[in-house]
Amino acid sequence: MEDAVSQPSPGIGKVISRMHGSTLGQKALMAVSGIALIAFSFGHMAGHLQMFVGAEQYNTYAHFLQSMGGIKWAIRFGLVALTCLHIFSAIQVSMRNRAARPIAYASNKWIVASLGSRTMRASGGIVLFFIGYHILHFTTLTVGTAGFEKIPEYKLINGLLVDDVYRRMVVSFQNPLLALGYIGGVGLLGLHLSHGIQSSLQTLGVLNSAYRPFFKKLGPALAGFLFAGFAIVPLAVLVGIIK
Amino acid sequence: MNLTLKIWRQKDKATPGKFETYDAKDISPDMSFLEMLDVVSERAQANGQEPCAFDHDCREGICGMCSLVINGVPHGPEAATTTCQLHMRKFKDGDNIVIEPWRASAFPVLRDLVVDRSAFDRIQQKGGFVSINTGGTPDGNAIPISKKEADLAMDAASCIGCGACVAACKNASAMLFVGAKVSQYMHLPQGQAERSRRVLAMVEQHDAEGFGACSNFQECEAVCPKEISVRVIAEMNRDYLRAALVGTDA
Ligand code: HEM
Ligand code: SF4
Ligand code: FES
Repeated sequence: MEDAVSQPSPGIGKVISRMHGSTLGQKALMAVSGIALIAFSFGHMAGHLQMFVGAEQYNTYAHFLQSMGGIKWAIRFGLVALTCLHIFSAIQVSMRNRAARPIAYASNKWIVASLGSRTMRASGGIVLFFIGYHILHFTTLTVGTAGFEKIPEYKLINGLLVDDVYRRMVVSFQNPLLALGYIGGVGLLGLHLSHGIQSSLQTLGVLNSAYRPFFKKLGPALAGFLFAGFAIVPLAVLVGIIK
Repeated sequence: MNLTLKIWRQKDKATPGKFETYDAKDISPDMSFLEMLDVVSERAQANGQEPCAFDHDCREGICGMCSLVINGVPHGPEAATTTCQLHMRKFKDGDNIVIEPWRASAFPVLRDLVVDRSAFDRIQQKGGFVSINTGGTPDGNAIPISKKEADLAMDAASCIGCGACVAACKNASAMLFVGAKVSQYMHLPQGQAERSRRVLAMVEQHDAEGFGACSNFQECEAVCPKEISVRVIAEMNRDYLRAALVGTDA
């Protein structure tokens, strides 16, 4: 594995210029930022599933997140930075790819590429809008808040008065338009990741010949699992299981 | 059999091209695709028309010179087959066949269906070799190499440099080609000395030629006449990242 001829290591400047300036470096940044966002998404999804336990559990969890102070802001900053890195490299790579085929084929055909892989730009773009709406909705309480003003604060068993985030979710998703919009949003995230998970592992060179068949199945399965975990909450509210 | 051909015609690099339609009558199903084009060209020439230019050499599926995107698929509808080894029995009487050159900014059209693939040569020259003064022929098996590694190297080395992977890729990326050239040395002891330098320099040249990045569509693998697997791309990616982050300075 090692080079027989030892040479000086690359300096940090060279490393940055290679990661930023080469196709493989840009793709690696996209893959690493994507994987970090996936890790967050799974945690986020698990958090939402506490809606099934009840108002006490969910509001305790939401209050715990709100009270993290500096750590909360560090995580928020990190998520924004990762998203910017992901989108920046996606734009860079997409522009290069477009320029590489200036004249299109008259008979343009897809042979084996999956639906998810063919729609990465569209699914990613819509997911960006969805994330924006989601933040304006539940974080800044700017849009889609009809009915929020009537929700009183929630009294935890220990006597603490906290925001009733549980009730906000229920009120929101009792509106079929919002519930279906959210299910659609996480559906497109699932589509993005049905290709994204295995693609990022290939980009980072994890998929050697022994593991490849396994990961090619694992990627879409994990994406489907994430989609189901996210979609089940608005669905359960919509059909009245959570109320 | 009788066919209708829609063929890309282009005078030279600078002149914009266009499709022209040809009737190909009385074609034998036993002809190869290139023999069919020979016949059509001869008939056109007999009528005083300019024959259509297309690349070919060995016509045995080993040299990598033939090309052509046939109905949207590089090397045509038969898997693991070069255009020269494709036969007309794969088509039906009355078929319309669209024939286009490889399309990539890094493969400019020189004339009709002929493209300039010297970008591949320049990538090869950056590291697709082992710098050793060979001297006399070494004894067979003087350097033991496991069957598994030898097979992986041989599979990668079967790339004939045809460029179908670029033609099939929606991003016109040449990563399957570069991956094959990197991987064939990666699995051999002789390839280790220049391993980091090779992958860094070849990828750099790939980018400089204007090929796209890999989106892992795997369309390349589906059209490659030598069935090179995209595992060579994963191997190249890993080696590139290792070399770029902690490897030697090329
Ligand atoms: C915010 C808006 C987003 C945009 C505009 C976007 C865009 C893209 C694009 C265009 C690609 C494919 C690039 C290519 O062709 O090689 C991609 C790949 C990917 N995306 Fe996103 N994406 C977004 C959000 C996300 C999110 C939220 C996640 C994770 C939860 C994610 C995970 C991934 C992964 C893992 C890949 C595969 C990287 C690779 O091919 O190596 N993306 N993204
Ligand atoms: S990898 Fe396959 S398709 Fe690409 S140049 Fe080599 S033989 Fe041709
Ligand atoms: S002409 Fe040599 S491979 Fe087709």
